[in-house]
Amino acid sequence: MTTVKPIVLAEDNPRDAELALAAMEEHHIADKVVVCHDGAEVLDYLYCRGPYKSRECGNPVVVFLDLKMPKVDGIEVLRTIKNDANLKPIPVVMLTSSREERDLAQSYALGANAYVVKPVEFQQFISAVKELGVFWGVINEPPPEGTESAA
Amino acid sequence: MDSATQERPPHTPVAAPLAGPVPAAPPDRTPRTGRLPDWLSGWSIEQRVLAGFGLVFAGILVISVVSYRNTSVVVENSRLDSRSHDLIQLLGSIQEALVAAESGHRRYLVTGDESYLKAHQALAEQMPEYTRYLHALVGGETEQQERLTRLESLIKQQLDIEADAIKRRTELGAEAVRHLALPGVAKRELDTIHHLIGDLENRERQSARARVLESASSTRNTIALLGLGALLQLVLLGSVYYLIHHDITARRRVAAELRRQGELLQAANKELEAFSYSVSHDLRAPLRHIDGYAALLAKTAGESLNDKAQRYLQTISDSAKQMGQLIDDLLVFSRMGRQEMLRSTVNLNQLVKTVIHDLRLDLQGKAISWTIGSLPEVPGDPAMLRQVFMNLLSNAVKFTATRPEPRIEIGATQEAPGEVTVFVRDNGVGFDMQYVNKLFGVFQRLHRNDEFEGTGIGLANVRRIIHRHGGRTWAEGAIDRGATFYLSLPMKRIAS
Repeated sequence: MTTVKPIVLAEDNPRDAELALAAMEEHHIADKVVVCHDGAEVLDYLYCRGPYKSRECGNPVVVFLDLKMPKVDGIEVLRTIKNDANLKPIPVVMLTSSREERDLAQSYALGANAYVVKPVEFQQFISAVKELGVFWGVINEPPPEGTESAA
Repeated sequence: MDSATQERPPHTPVAAPLAGPVPAAPPDRTPRTGRLPDWLSGWSIEQRVLAGFGLVFAGILVISVVSYRNTSVVVENSRLDSRSHDLIQLLGSIQEALVAAESGHRRYLVTGDESYLKAHQALAEQMPEYTRYLHALVGGETEQQERLTRLESLIKQQLDIEADAIKRRTELGAEAVRHLALPGVAKRELDTIHHLIGDLENRERQSARARVLESASSTRNTIALLGLGALLQLVLLGSVYYLIHHDITARRRVAAELRRQGELLQAANKELEAFSYSVSHDLRAPLRHIDGYAALLAKTAGESLNDKAQRYLQTISDSAKQMGQLIDDLLVFSRMGRQEMLRSTVNLNQLVKTVIHDLRLDLQGKAISWTIGSLPEVPGDPAMLRQVFMNLLSNAVKFTATRPEPRIEIGATQEAPGEVTVFVRDNGVGFDMQYVNKLFGVFQRLHRNDEFEGTGIGLANVRRIIHRHGGRTWAEGAIDRGATFYLSLPMKRIAS
């Protein structure tokens, strides 16, 4: 049931991105991950524009969103996704350092599918990212393509 | 012919009240306006307003009393005037009746026709009544009363003389009184009577004139006084207005200042929030990287590293984790200060039982003898109070861990009305009382980390939460003799 559809990881910090990739590597799903370094890039990817103009269009299987990013922050990206009928079905997982109630509440209010606080401890971080990657990238059945155009 | 006089009801003399001199004008206390004098600025606004209204009230009172007295004088004078008028009319009637009686009796003396005696007889009959009226009308003036007495006796004399002459005419015939008939028997007395009545009337008219003057002056006085009173009240009201206005301005200024301070405080709070958010997000990332890369390094090169190098890597990892814990604790502490407090009622008995139940999982079967007294219900935030007892009880568990027979007691006492004191007592390692002030500080620890684990935030949280509930915290202890932690909570809801 492995899909070829990519996983988008929005992470402005290259070290965090590397650690996340290292975690996913353990489960051999790292090659499906597209790393975006800010919110604007995520939107470029989703709308197939700018540097992603030539990519084969289609929604990713899941988007991991950091809250705090340059240019366009995670909340703004989340809002754009959930307000766009075509992007709306994409599962969005907030992956952030913030445990603030305000961020949690706002994310869920905007329609985030999950909210995960990055643990400081590497082992925990690895298992968290791995589980997320496996769950959303492998186990979870993504919405059918038809939903996008029908919606 | 004198029926008008007869029908007039007799006037009952009313004791004339204070017809004294016009009272002095009210004290001319002109209130100060403009800058407040020193003695006044020490007064509170309530005192100032009270004083202002007191002055207004006193002014109104004085003016009312004086005006009332002036008006009474005028009313009394008009009563006296009408009495004088009645007296003068009555005297006129009596005079007419006397003249009629005298001329009637002379005609009788000449003609012997008894019908001429009617006037004389009527007067003689009515005289006592007239006398009563006269006395009622003449008032208290001695001079007039003397005149009246004289008048009475003269009239009586006149009537007697007439009656005498009539008697002689009836008994002895016309001849006996012929010498009397033409000149009249009592012409001289009659003249005197006329004179006396004239005097009486004159005196009454004089009095009336004096009263008119007095009434006019009283009325003028009253008008002036009312004018002055109105002016005084205007001035007093003006100053009361000034006082109130002055205070309102001051209050507005204070309110504006408070609002400004509130805005500043809110800005500072926002900044603090941004700060802790930043701490939460940004400080943890490098820690995660330290731990992560140390782990990756251990994994990649672990086999080629010697024990010492591996221990170094482990220490890097441990320190990162510890700092992560510290940051998390600090964030919890900061959130405790900012978080909105829930206002509900917390059953401490139940709360403590739940906390102990949760702690049992961590005890790993270690037997602790718990003593739980009766605890009250208090108003407060359940989650925050749970945190308090979690911290206190896990501390107690932690510091009794080295004891062969750990004992923990929880109880409550009521020392002050409206306030409950809850204590947690253990027989653990205790502490030195000279460090008691450090106990509730942030990151303050009285034990080394290898003795007892912890970041030193627990009791700081306890204190902050209890303070937010309007209570206090304190502790007693001695080294190796256990410790007792106290907290007081108000039994009534406080305004946050």
